[in-house]
Amino acid sequence: MTSLVPLDLLALSAALLGIGLFGILTRRNFILLLISIEIAMNAAILNFVIFGALSGGPGGVSGSAIAVVLVGLAATEVAVGLAIVLALNRLRGSINVAESATLRL
Amino acid sequence: MGDVLSLAAFAPEALVLAGALLILLLDALEVRKLELFAGISLVASFGALLLVVADLGFAPLHLLAGVPASAIDLPPTTSALWGFSSLGLIFQAVFLLATFLVSLGSLSRPSDEKGSAVFFALLLIATVGMLLAAIAADLIFLLLAIEVVGISTYLLVGYTRRDPRGLEAAMKFYIVGALSSALSFFGASLLFGAYGSTNLTVLSQATGTVGYPALALIGYALLIAGVGFKVTAVPFHAWAVDVYDGAPDDVTAFLAGGSKKVGVFAFFLVFIGPLTILDRPCASAACATPFHFAPTLQLALALLSLLTMTVGNVLALLQREMKRMLAYSSISQAGYMLLGIAIGTSPALAGATFQVFAHVFMKLGAFLVVAAVAGLGIGPLIEDWRGLGLRRPWLGVAFALMLLSLAGVPLTVGFVSKFVLFSAAVQAQGLFVWLAVAGLLNSALSVFYYARVLRVLYMESPDDAPAPTPPSSNGLPLGGLGYGRAAAIGLCAVAIVAIGVYPQPVLSAIQSAASHFALTGA
Repeated sequence: MTSLVPLDLLALSAALLGIGLFGILTRRNFILLLISIEIAMNAAILNFVIFGALSGGPGGVSGSAIAVVLVGLAATEVAVGLAIVLALNRLRGSINVAESATLRL
Repeated sequence: MGDVLSLAAFAPEALVLAGALLILLLDALEVRKLELFAGISLVASFGALLLVVADLGFAPLHLLAGVPASAIDLPPTTSALWGFSSLGLIFQAVFLLATFLVSLGSLSRPSDEKGSAVFFALLLIATVGMLLAAIAADLIFLLLAIEVVGISTYLLVGYTRRDPRGLEAAMKFYIVGALSSALSFFGASLLFGAYGSTNLTVLSQATGTVGYPALALIGYALLIAGVGFKVTAVPFHAWAVDVYDGAPDDVTAFLAGGSKKVGVFAFFLVFIGPLTILDRPCASAACATPFHFAPTLQLALALLSLLTMTVGNVLALLQREMKRMLAYSSISQAGYMLLGIAIGTSPALAGATFQVFAHVFMKLGAFLVVAAVAGLGIGPLIEDWRGLGLRRPWLGVAFALMLLSLAGVPLTVGFVSKFVLFSAAVQAQGLFVWLAVAGLLNSALSVFYYARVLRVLYMESPDDAPAPTPPSSNGLPLGGLGYGRAAAIGLCAVAIVAIGVYPQPVLSAIQSAASHFALTGA
């Protein structure tokens, strides 16, 4: 790895992480929360692809391979999240996170 | 190094996974009996426990050993995905013990309960993830194993699907867990960028291209945050109390006594290497280059441990509900474990590991008592437990033992773990002496709220307590307790005293494993 850190690409992934975190902190609709989590996860995936492509050779292949595995992981997470939303919606008729008043902070 | 091992090395993982699949298969065939599922779970976890103990070199079981002794504690390689360390095997044993005790306690739930197959299958799948995390030698392998645990425990918290509190706890747990895994993977990607590999040995020796120290530092910071969520380290703890409170009692026991420990081992794997790099004999020329942020990492972990101990204890003092009080005390116990990681010497590692081991009996046992007491129709507030120790002497004695052990009273496991940990901190000199003092002050503080519960249990007359619903109403033997739960609680109580009085066999096994671990780094 001789090249410099590609600052523009890293800025892109950092921005994705920031958008995701902002969404997780501000959104109250569970579906939008799921989308925010996805965006944050994709920032990590993008980073693996960037660094893999930069280093080339065997390290490069492993970067792309990790990215593919993480895409699968993200899909699994969303499936579980949707299962929780469905059960909650059936029980309460609402998927608004702010309405969970049963548990205090 | 994976290729010289036979598949028998993975027998514990395979056995537990087979148990999970068998339960799901029986459920699909409409054979639905809680006792059957619990039995499968008990057999799978106990069998795997025997296999792991045999791997550790316990002579009477040597025929069962799947991992040859020559394959344990090998010097770390820079390409392996997994490797067997004796400390990892000890953690596997602890995880399996937790699964076994939770399955035993769950025997006492109503036998026609809906979703019991899902409960036991998810319990075993989470256990597989925990077992895999304990043999990880690669950061991505480790994080994926933690994800297996995470995803199955999100579902475990809400598995009843009828209880709005459980589902809301599941939702909260899911959001926090998904956020923490996104942070961990982002941190891992930065480390991959800095060192060109995700192998833990490469990361810890910094033998890769150390091109961008700033990337590595941000990567480690994000990993501390991501894994810190899993071990409920303050300031990443806010979710834990609500989730522990809202989850079904048996699931809470598993979360606090079992799955949280995966994060502790992840901290071991990721941070002990970088922290001890300066003390270790150096094989290659690359690691002779000075390693730049070990002191920064150490300071961060020490602060995390101090905050976690103190905040957990102070908030526990203020709680009026038993389950929330125990949840906060569980947070403060995580602080003691982090203390061992921050010190990073082999006695400190041994102390943290012994704390993890002791915590299974103390905390998991305490939450099982909460489950049993809720089954007797007694309310969630601490005052509702008035006079319980007089009305139910055996249950009272067991719970009192768990609390005394959590407070660190001599002749209990809790005392041994704190003694080993704090003496390691004093040995380590410097800053850590003050951490040991802070830890001791914290233990003294914790005595207040444990003593308050003891007073409620024994000193307050049961007469002015509202009459509990007759125990016969839930139809379980032993006055509503049930054999399974009574056996699990009894085992915990006996272990607390037995190992507290005679800790030597367990302690020396842990100490030798910890010294190997500190020497090889991973």
